[in-house]
Amino acid sequence: MLSVKDLHVSYGNIVALRGVSLELAKGEIVAVIGPNGAGKSTLLLTIAGVVRAKHGEVRLGESSILGIAPEVLASHGIALVPEGRHIFGSLTVAENIALGATTRRDRQAIAADVERALDMFPILRERYRQRAGKLSGGEQQMLAIARALLARPKLLLLDEPSLGLAPLVVRQVYEAIFELKRQGITILVVEQSVHRAVAAADRTYVVNSGQVAISGRSADLHGTAAFDAAYFGAASGAGER
Amino acid sequence: MIVIQNAIDAISLGAVYALAALGIGLIFSIMRLINFAHGELIMVGGFTLYALAGQPYLVMGLAAILVAAILALGLERVAFRPLRKASPATLLISSFAVSYLLQHVMLMIFGSRPMGVDFLPQLGDAVELGPLRVPELQLAAIVVTVISMTGLALFFRRSRIGVEMRAAAEDFTMARLLGVRANRVIAAAFVISGVLASMVSLYLVAQTGTVSYKMGVNMVLIAFVASVIGGMGSLVGAALGGFLVGIVSVSLQAYLPVDLRPYRDAFVFLAFIAFLLWRPQGLMTRRADMERV
Repeated sequence: MLSVKDLHVSYGNIVALRGVSLELAKGEIVAVIGPNGAGKSTLLLTIAGVVRAKHGEVRLGESSILGIAPEVLASHGIALVPEGRHIFGSLTVAENIALGATTRRDRQAIAADVERALDMFPILRERYRQRAGKLSGGEQQMLAIARALLARPKLLLLDEPSLGLAPLVVRQVYEAIFELKRQGITILVVEQSVHRAVAAADRTYVVNSGQVAISGRSADLHGTAAFDAAYFGAASGAGER
Repeated sequence: MIVIQNAIDAISLGAVYALAALGIGLIFSIMRLINFAHGELIMVGGFTLYALAGQPYLVMGLAAILVAAILALGLERVAFRPLRKASPATLLISSFAVSYLLQHVMLMIFGSRPMGVDFLPQLGDAVELGPLRVPELQLAAIVVTVISMTGLALFFRRSRIGVEMRAAAEDFTMARLLGVRANRVIAAAFVISGVLASMVSLYLVAQTGTVSYKMGVNMVLIAFVASVIGGMGSLVGAALGGFLVGIVSVSLQAYLPVDLRPYRDAFVFLAFIAFLLWRPQGLMTRRADMERV
């Protein structure tokens, strides 16, 4: 489904990614975890077309997508829910959700998808005509996910979906993520919250200092000494498990 | 009674400033470009009226709107699109370059002296509203501004591209991530700014009966001040800023001691410097801009 090979990204002289490679199969949830500044968000932004890579390869199915503009990638079925949600605060909840369907023209299907998204997050139905800037952090996160779903994405990129949310809200958000997996959407989720992400994901990549330190099936990795060493920076000796 | 007369003067002048400020504010909100070439869109609208003098006024007016919109679109394509990823400072310099280029092209073609144009001279007549005598041009300015702003508000709220433009103005990268086409949204913003500029040129030509290669310079400066006062990036703020500048200008003209009236503009700018010291973010501030500050 998604294949990233030897991805290098720099911001001026600062190297953010040093040869990151990862694979996602269709319908999988894959977590990328790592400490602050590890390069996780840069990875998602590069896949989504916002940040330019120095070199490397990103393929969606058979197509190379590296260097393609974000608005074009959106029509290829990639949706990003960025860190900090980035909802449009001055627009209503309804307008935010509708913007998720920007690349679509099938009005009836869009209306049905709006209903489905509102069923998934009933609080958004109550707030439907309110300005999105008035929502709480958790509600904004739900709105950001609902908006992304309106694109009917093949690949959903979630950047820190639990950041700054109350535990109850985090649980709701992850329930929604599991529901999306059941619907067959492939999900790449970036988290600092190790336990939550590893518990949800089929496979996990630990990124540290712009490199994949260790990767493998989440169930096999979690709690091992190699996993802890990779996460906390002792990347040497880490590898595929 | 004089107070009401002054209020009408202030609102009508503010309405024109608001139209000009909206044109500047719209482009800034989406591109972070302070387009000083907006004044030359006003100027080109004026020269279109000059070129079509003698034709029916409706034809002249529609042609001015069309030419200014097409020029705005052309400027975006030729001068600003290649610099889209450049810094705001580079964009600003580019807009100055375009502004000077267009001014001097017109200077070479038409010379430096203002030229007379007969455009809706009957708007100079006054309407008697009870004890008040209000020039029709002032009423026309208010009516046209109200219609334009209502139309713009409906466009931004009801049309798909209008909502996309509001989203892009708030968070351009996120809008693109959702599939909003950058070229389409920016081109639409330039066309709208061209139309707004041409409306200002219709007012200026009807008011003064002349066109000159510098006719947009003063207006764009006032529009820029108005959009800063309103809060750069906020369209509602730009409109409010325009009205505020108009109200302050007319009030100072009316109530300053006679000896000081020639220095009115200095007092206007002094008042706004004081305002910005108190509220540097302007009247309306978007959260994104607050974060940047």
